[in-house]
Amino acid sequence: MPMADSPVTKHGANSEDEATEASVQEQKQMEQAYAQMKRKMSMAEIGRMIKHKVMVLSGKGGVGKSTVSTGLALSLAQQGLKVGILDIDITGPNVPKMMGLEGRRLHVEAGRIHPAQGHLGVKVISMAFLLDNEDTPVVWRGPIKLGAIQQFIADVEWGNLDYLIIDFPPGTSDEPLTVAQSLPDIDGMVIVTTPQDVALLDSRKSITFSESLKVPVLGVVENMSGYTINGKSAPNSDVQIDGPAGKTLKTTADDQGNFAITIDIFKEGGGESTAEEFGVPFLGKLPFDPGFVRGGDDGVHRIVSEPEGPSAIAFAKIVAALQEQITDSDEPGLEII
Amino acid sequence: MTEEMPKLKRFERRETDVVLAYVGGDEFTITYDDLRHACPCAKCSPLRNVDDTSKSLRRQVEAFPKEKPQVRIVGNYALGFEWNTGCSSGIYRFERIWDLANRRDPDNGRPYVHGAW
Repeated sequence: MPMADSPVTKHGANSEDEATEASVQEQKQMEQAYAQMKRKMSMAEIGRMIKHKVMVLSGKGGVGKSTVSTGLALSLAQQGLKVGILDIDITGPNVPKMMGLEGRRLHVEAGRIHPAQGHLGVKVISMAFLLDNEDTPVVWRGPIKLGAIQQFIADVEWGNLDYLIIDFPPGTSDEPLTVAQSLPDIDGMVIVTTPQDVALLDSRKSITFSESLKVPVLGVVENMSGYTINGKSAPNSDVQIDGPAGKTLKTTADDQGNFAITIDIFKEGGGESTAEEFGVPFLGKLPFDPGFVRGGDDGVHRIVSEPEGPSAIAFAKIVAALQEQITDSDEPGLEII
Repeated sequence: MTEEMPKLKRFERRETDVVLAYVGGDEFTITYDDLRHACPCAKCSPLRNVDDTSKSLRRQVEAFPKEKPQVRIVGNYALGFEWNTGCSSGIYRFERIWDLANRRDPDNGRPYVHGAW
């Protein structure tokens, strides 16, 4: 029998330790590989359960991307469709506020995250639900951020959805890349822009970016397109307003003296010309509507507070144009007589 | 609904109803009133919750002039109907149309709560 302090015994003990450590590491690796495989299978399953996935991007911040994302989701939900929003903007998530879900916590059951339900039953997942304090910044390096995104895709119990709208942070960073690589069968992306040149320049980058991602551009939406002033004057009188850039806007009041003039605050038709330039569809314009700001702050989206108002109508037109773009090659072959 | 839904092959609009022909030979009719009463949009759905409002929605639908709708295919999953009067907002998924064809409640008896299913 070897002595307690025998080098053989010690050597034996070290080997055992090393062997144990190695087996722990192997087990960890296997667990990681298993989790990765499970996540991939889950993503494939989610891909099947969600009929259409639409990415919403913009090259520039502050163009109203989240407003457009929530508007598209609510407008689709107004049609009776099952819709979800995935707010991928990890560092500045504001979809929950717009959907009246501020301060809400996510429900987790059996390792699956259950989305919160906002207006019109729209399911929402956002980083904001995980923050203790909305003033706390999320300072994450790329890999952690991307891990969180993958978790938001694979570990969420979306159920069957007709549409998943994915709201991204501005720019052409790695978030869209991660989503495009993780989520199968993405229908395409909607590019949001405002009419001024700087925003359009960045939108052009987004369109080119889509080519690298191999995700089609479903179309361009021009936000903050024009501000309509409604007023009263003498019946049938001519009304004249000095608009921006030295432009004079003219209209005639109706029999009751009501008039409406739309001022293009930034510019006119920039989004449309960018779409034309790149040969991608132009989905439509959204008016400059201060109600969006109020609605965003109060948590009641414009489409909910005024379902038949001008902004809701503009969104319905954009959604109709979007739905025209989303036609699969597997046509139903339906004969309508 | 666990059964396999056959593919809708023909949608034939008649004066007051539509004939639906599915792959496999099954044919059904749905009256336009039934179709409009089952509108899945956020405006019409809550009106089917309670008996009285559901009846009033039904009366409303029956009061509309009889007309053939314009039909549009939405993606490869649904149909939209354009009427000259009343609501044209709803997008009818093929599953919903199949339920209506088979005289089943397309909402499975679930009340509409802010659009949640």
